[in-house]
Amino acid sequence: MSLEPETENTIREDVPDRPRGYVVGSAPDSIEREIGHDDFDPVGTLVLIFGYFLILVVMWVFMYFVEFLGRGMTVIG
Amino acid sequence: MEIHAYEKFWLGAALLLIVGFIATVSYGAIGAGVEMIDDDGGTVDPQNLDQHPKFSDPGVYKSGPNEYDVYVIAKQFLFQPGTSEPIRVPANSTVTFHVTSADVIHGFEVVGTNANTMAIPGQISTFTVEVDGPQEYGLLCNEYCGSAHHAMEGTMKVVPEDEFNASATAGGA
Repeated sequence: MSLEPETENTIREDVPDRPRGYVVGSAPDSIEREIGHDDFDPVGTLVLIFGYFLILVVMWVFMYFVEFLGRGMTVIG
Repeated sequence: MEIHAYEKFWLGAALLLIVGFIATVSYGAIGAGVEMIDDDGGTVDPQNLDQHPKFSDPGVYKSGPNEYDVYVIAKQFLFQPGTSEPIRVPANSTVTFHVTSADVIHGFEVVGTNANTMAIPGQISTFTVEVDGPQEYGLLCNEYCGSAHHAMEGTMKVVPEDEFNASATAGGA
């Protein structure tokens, strides 16, 4: 008995329509639903980016005004 | 090219952030008056600091009403004054430091504050700070200057005005 099964034997009978070169897990190549450019609406991504933006602003304000300017005895001349 | 509305928002926000960064730094320079330390302090002969009018006897000098000059020599591995005796300045005054080095490059940092400069042989680093209430600060060298660099530290004491004046009339400053 060979460890490598013959390719011919691994073709499953229950999945009939796999074309040559099909990658398992790949998206179907037929368009299921077509939307316009601005109809694509990734609100979650927008919220995530806005959150990052807010963190950046808060960290900058804290770093400059509290940690730097609030550090006492700043060079003024 | 068509740009998505969200992408336009993000591009605008990113540009706004850059404008904000520049605006805060501009505010620091104009509003808060933060200055950079440059070469305005001039030069000095590091071999002959004992012939300099002030560095020959480094310490605190009164330069005006409530204004003081502090001359500090950094050398391996001490600040003079600072290490063997603390730098004493009065509270709520304007203090101008003049820092130079007698040998190699050192750092002069009042720990926990933005008063911080390099001490370069031949160059006088001059910077002015506003001193608040009485407090004791540490001084340290933050440029590697030799085998005992880690031990190069000192003290700066901000003392109440009356206490400073009392000690000044008693002879020490």
